[in-house]
Amino acid sequence: MTVTVRLFGMLRTLAENQPEIVVAVNGRHQVNDLIEALQTLYPEVGELLLKKNVLVSVNHEIAHGETEISSADEIAFLPPFAGGAGGEWRGGPHVHG
Amino acid sequence: MSTVKSDEAMLVRVQRENFSIDVEIDRVRNRSKRIGGIATFLGTARDRSQGREISSITFEHYEGMAQKKLREIRTRALQDFDVIEVVILHRYGDIAIGENIVLIVVGAEHRAEAFKACKWCIDELKHITPIWKLEHTPEGEVWVEQHP
Repeated sequence: MTVTVRLFGMLRTLAENQPEIVVAVNGRHQVNDLIEALQTLYPEVGELLLKKNVLVSVNHEIAHGETEISSADEIAFLPPFAGGAGGEWRGGPHVHG
Repeated sequence: MSTVKSDEAMLVRVQRENFSIDVEIDRVRNRSKRIGGIATFLGTARDRSQGREISSITFEHYEGMAQKKLREIRTRALQDFDVIEVVILHRYGDIAIGENIVLIVVGAEHRAEAFKACKWCIDELKHITPIWKLEHTPEGEVWVEQHP
């Protein structure tokens, strides 16, 4: 299965300004599997995902590691917001959770 | 008093162009004659950040999700505070130093709830809205990760 992932802010800059990337996902088709695939394809982006509090959204809602994904979903990686990451997700499941 | 459109699409906006504070205050004022106090927060572009000189700012947003989160904030403010109307605007794109960035306008019967809801809205906006800020400095560009 392939999914298209939208990139914003510093993540897009790291991915040579590509607004979105297409990633082949294996395994159980969960967000965790997407991240694993991405770390192989785009190591710089993968490293930032590990270092920063990057959130993943699926269809405009914040997802967690076990959230299931499909090719039809709108998926985005959201680096820390200008106002500071957290808010409704403070203490919530991290992208790698 | 001017006649200002106040349908829901106008009450929460993410837009490139500048906005008029007077028009947005009228938009809230015109919603109800019960309004006796209007609190506003206006965020503007400053020329220094974390010791760096800033020449201009670019805001990027996640189209669709940003509007959704702002609508959620407005809805929760109307539910959780004793207020009558809330307008939330945020600009995107290139913004010069001194220009408007974000505006919250809250109308209530009394000032205390208007102030409280206004502060809550801007704090919540900064926490949950997918908007990113790129500061242009003489040394290069910096994506801002957080703000007090």
